[in-house]
Amino acid sequence: MTPKVGLIANPISARDIRRVVASANSVQIADRANIVLRALAALKACGIAEVVMMPERAGIAGHVLRGIERARAHGEERFPNLAFLPMPVTGTVEDTRRAARLMASAGDVAAIIVLGGDGTHRAVVGECGSVPVAGISTGTNNAFPEHREPTITGLATGLAAMGLVPARTAFADNKKIEVSVDGGTPEIALVDVAIVTDRFVGARALWRTETFRELYVTFADPEVIGMAAIAGLIEPVSRAEAGGLAVTLASAGAAATRVRAPIAPGLVEEIGVEGWRRMPAGTVFTPALAAGAIALDGERELFFDPHQRVEIRLVDRAFRTVDVAQVMRFAARNGLLVDRPPVRIHA
Amino acid sequence: MTNNPFPLSKDELLAAYRTMRTIRDFEERLHVEFAKGDIPGFVHLYAGEEACATGIMMHLTDIDRIASTHRGHGHCIAKGVDVHEMMAEIYGKATGACRGKGGSMHIADLSKGMMGANGILGAGAPLICGAGLAAKFRGDGGVGITFFGDGASNQGTVLESMNLAAIWNLPVIFVVENNGYAESTSVEYATAVDSYVDRAAGFGLPGVTVDGTDFFAVHEAAGEVIRRAREGGGPALLECKTIRFFGHFEGDAQTYKAKGENDWNRENRDCLRIFANRVTSAGAVSEAEIALVDREVASLIDAAVESAKGAPLPSPRDLLTDVYVAY
Repeated sequence: MTPKVGLIANPISARDIRRVVASANSVQIADRANIVLRALAALKACGIAEVVMMPERAGIAGHVLRGIERARAHGEERFPNLAFLPMPVTGTVEDTRRAARLMASAGDVAAIIVLGGDGTHRAVVGECGSVPVAGISTGTNNAFPEHREPTITGLATGLAAMGLVPARTAFADNKKIEVSVDGGTPEIALVDVAIVTDRFVGARALWRTETFRELYVTFADPEVIGMAAIAGLIEPVSRAEAGGLAVTLASAGAAATRVRAPIAPGLVEEIGVEGWRRMPAGTVFTPALAAGAIALDGERELFFDPHQRVEIRLVDRAFRTVDVAQVMRFAARNGLLVDRPPVRIHA
Repeated sequence: MTNNPFPLSKDELLAAYRTMRTIRDFEERLHVEFAKGDIPGFVHLYAGEEACATGIMMHLTDIDRIASTHRGHGHCIAKGVDVHEMMAEIYGKATGACRGKGGSMHIADLSKGMMGANGILGAGAPLICGAGLAAKFRGDGGVGITFFGDGASNQGTVLESMNLAAIWNLPVIFVVENNGYAESTSVEYATAVDSYVDRAAGFGLPGVTVDGTDFFAVHEAAGEVIRRAREGGGPALLECKTIRFFGHFEGDAQTYKAKGENDWNRENRDCLRIFANRVTSAGAVSEAEIALVDREVASLIDAAVESAKGAPLPSPRDLLTDVYVAY
């Protein structure tokens, strides 16, 4: 019995206002289904026989099943057995959370492949416990999932899940930021927490730079897009190093330091920066702004009023991901995907 | 540039609440009155979807046109059609917006840019392309908004209109009010790919999905797509995921809904309650001011029903007036 791999493909990511206020793409359902098929084929090539997938009713499952049945009708064994989790479908983020929870509690899921943007990955990480995550970007702001051909992500996940790569090589530790309002259950962010002056959630995305006030990031990569790009352009912080960065923002016209940052696809805006400091793990940060909205990984999710206390805290080694680059390098060095002919000795 | 924490002034927030409350009370009252048997024809109630019409229409003026649906009362009220005339029209009275000859599914008021509710599913989409073309020729910055549901989204007229709007780059917004049911058929069953953003992408239109029970989400997204259209950016699609508290039509037993679904929605997804809680807890509007609007709207609806009931029916000699148009 080989280990199972979980697969969560969010059908509703990449649908927000950034398709109008920025030049964000929209990954269509057929594209998402084809990405699932590519990942499944790669898993099968590594020896994974069983995959469990989050059910949905937006059209991905039907397309995927047709692809599998067509291959079987041709006598091809290109795909593993695919089962759908027995769970209700609500068409909301609760489906993603529930699926991750079920996969984590099943005990036999070695890794979860996720299709979505930062928000989808955040929902999975909030529930998947110690099960490693392999991210595939099908969202809008994709600072967390690395941009890579899904077939390669599938191969690396398959090799790691089969135990063909040592765990210390196959999996990487990641940071997260916890945000609590009035001591309630913390919400998490995988990349960034932004404090903005809006007092409402609205269309969620962030694009009006004059509302930006504070930014907290787990990592700051100058190559990523979104709010973390602001931090990445002033003081890069890697995913692997301990701690993050806290940045105080202001209107561009009011600040001496201004950063031109890609805050959304095609949207490079000037943002004022008043200062920044390292954000050690475990230290509680409290916003200076008395009331506003809290954006998690680029989307307004919460709001707080003057009488409420907000606590922001970075957590090191919070969850694991499949380190696709390391796995593939290991696979190449050790010939994991190479079948060599027997060496012939010529007399 | 503004640091106003809400996108609207206090007066505008109260106006938004007043519009939503007027729609809600209008529909709740019709639910009661229709059961008495005094109202001719059918009515399809909009209660639960108020944030969609209100969040969108607050960006429009009388030069902007809308093409509505069979569930059009909310669109009419949010576009500024007189509530007394609407109620009289639904009662089939001579004082109605269409002299009592249209009823619920044909309320129109061109002076307000309201081209009409429409008994034909998906029929508003081609009409609004005409309005958009006229606005484009006039160059007055006007836009056209057509509303349709998840059911009508599968009508050929809607898809053809998206294509037409795209090739002519019309200032038109296609608004899908996705309440989950096409009459009694769930969207999951009846729609192959239930992302309307995908549909729009097929015609080269940008699409946006928002929570239609959150006024601020609708208002913010609608503001951006409408501004884009006014500036010549072309058509777009806005999907508002919403709910309806009542059946498809009055008298619908709603056996296709889960047990307790309406109660749960009223408790957890009531757009008026969500809005009032947010603006009062933020201190932008007081609870007393909300309560005052509630009382004033209740009086307005009472008066509208009473005057509609007491108004005369159209006379036989009016049978052919306002029916045919000579060119």
